[in-house]
Amino acid sequence: MTKFIKTFVFSVVGIFLISSSANAFKLGMAVGGHACCEWMKSQGDVARAIAEKKGWDYFELSNEGDSATSVKNAQLFVQEGVDAVIQFNGEPGTNAAIQQILGAAGIPVVTYDIAEEGMYFVGIDNLGAGIAGGEGLGKLVKEKWNCEPDLVVSAEGAGAGIVNTWRTGGMRTGLGNICPDIPAEKYKSFESNGDAAAGLAPARDLLAANPDAVRIAVVGLNDGGVLALVNAAEQLGRADEVMAWGQDGAFITGDNVNPRLVGSVFYFLEGYAVYAIRDVIDGIAAGNPPPVKWEAGDPASQVKPCPATAAEAQLVPVEAERVKQLLAAPIGTTAYDLFCAN
Amino acid sequence: MRLEHAIKPESSMSTLLWLRFRAFSAPIFLLTVWLLLIIATAIYRPDFISYQTLLAVVFTMSIVGVLAIGQALVTISGGFLDLSQPSCLIFASFVSVKLSEAGMPFIIVILGAIITGVIVGAINALIIVLARLNPIIVTLATNFIGLAVLFLLFRAAEVPIGSEIHTFGRAYFLGLPATWWPMLILIFIVGLLIHQTRYGRQTIAVGGNLYAAQTRGISLKKTRFLIFSIAGGFVGFAAILFCSASGPFNSDSANILQLNVIAAVILAGISLEGGRGHLWMLFLSVGLLSTVPTSLVFFGLSSDAQAIFQGLILILAVTFDGYRSRKVTL
Repeated sequence: MTKFIKTFVFSVVGIFLISSSANAFKLGMAVGGHACCEWMKSQGDVARAIAEKKGWDYFELSNEGDSATSVKNAQLFVQEGVDAVIQFNGEPGTNAAIQQILGAAGIPVVTYDIAEEGMYFVGIDNLGAGIAGGEGLGKLVKEKWNCEPDLVVSAEGAGAGIVNTWRTGGMRTGLGNICPDIPAEKYKSFESNGDAAAGLAPARDLLAANPDAVRIAVVGLNDGGVLALVNAAEQLGRADEVMAWGQDGAFITGDNVNPRLVGSVFYFLEGYAVYAIRDVIDGIAAGNPPPVKWEAGDPASQVKPCPATAAEAQLVPVEAERVKQLLAAPIGTTAYDLFCAN
Repeated sequence: MRLEHAIKPESSMSTLLWLRFRAFSAPIFLLTVWLLLIIATAIYRPDFISYQTLLAVVFTMSIVGVLAIGQALVTISGGFLDLSQPSCLIFASFVSVKLSEAGMPFIIVILGAIITGVIVGAINALIIVLARLNPIIVTLATNFIGLAVLFLLFRAAEVPIGSEIHTFGRAYFLGLPATWWPMLILIFIVGLLIHQTRYGRQTIAVGGNLYAAQTRGISLKKTRFLIFSIAGGFVGFAAILFCSASGPFNSDSANILQLNVIAAVILAGISLEGGRGHLWMLFLSVGLLSTVPTSLVFFGLSSDAQAIFQGLILILAVTFDGYRSRKVTL
């Protein structure tokens, strides 16, 4: 009899646990997986922590910065039976295929920063952020050089596709808003691959091809790209009047900041999940999905950029600390709320 | 020497002169191409001939040159290619950063990087020797594994600004970058040692004819182990040059160097089949390959066009290597 009661009780508990688990909302996350950037891993960490606080199941995959992997991951999400997916896909050419796979399975998708029809867009206005950064640099170029630089160098990252066009092109536009009379021939570009080390040699070559340039303003896809030019100028003994303004804030916090990196635009990329979950996933989990807003100009959730000078950036903690503070804050608090001084 | 010349005494002087010319044909060819490139660029853009251009080229030569020494040793010994250089370079660079952050003297940072490189090379060697596997496959696999481990270890690293190693990356000696002189000295010394020492000649013998070398009592296992370890040490030293100047780097940052290094070795006349080549030629091949991208910028070409030219040069170099190999066996 005792044995029968024990078996009955354990069975009931087991059935309850299994059915609870089956009923729990399951969030899938595909992180970018590129080697370059800590924030790609942090995006997953933040999403996981918020999902756990909400009592959701969480399933994470890495796109490994690879097109084929991102499509395979979509199929894995379907097999895993997730209820919604958040992704950062740095190879946006496959987004249409991913949307087809997940859409056919009825799984809604939130995509970061690169819009795709049918997916909820959560992200920054990259063009607006670029313009804000360019205007920040433009103010310094006007103050120090009377809007007369010898060279405006763009550290391109063609691999980022349209994001590079928006960000880097946006910075040139922003600089032009403040200093409209800089001649077109003073604008030069080099391919930095968004990486300070990989872009170093092309940056040196560009500087060698412009030997008379002294006052050099640098814009680019990200902090790493502009630092390629800064380091090249230091090597060639020409860094005395170089001013670089980056984007993403990756190398402007902490105590190892290059003094020629005069500003950056923080996106607080690690905290995107706060926006995605607050404005999209919560509604889906509650059975009340919001309308699909997929365009960057009319997003499901708009992430605010935070342009900051080097001095302002010193007040921003390094990324690991930002993630800690973000997760300790009430759910729904964004990194912008916590860390942006503007 | 062709047989008909061997049996014609009246051709002996011209044959001798032809053989002497052929012995120097590769360096003459490389030097000629290099000079033609410089002249063509200078005609299009006279400001190409400048101190800034010289600096840009020699800075690029520094890292590629030292990596090419390690690669050349592997190739000349019959190990074909070491494809693990990117991950080895980043491992050693990461160690350099950590030692610098800990406030270690520069000499300790250098030793730490070299020892890291030697260890990575030794791991490659152990797998190749004990499992008797193809070195290309092993080093390709260890490169994949190494990059994955690095990805788990860190996302971005940078030597402390103002540290000794950071200063070294921007310092000059006799008007040229401090990072260039070690490359020049190492090419000269290793080029001398490989042909003038017993161990160096054994390395070439193993690459030239493995069975003949073994018959003479030369141990393939020992030679291969030492060569891969020493090659790793050169990569470790190259890491000092790399991280002293590069700013923030990540696990993928060195991938871009691999093709240039292999092209430099082949262009230098070091046969992929092993057993043949002069390391001194690396100075010319590395110099030429470092000048090409700078020259293309002066011509107004984009980075994409540079990659096309470098790929074409590699194809030409491999074709030339194959042609010379067939001539030798005829």
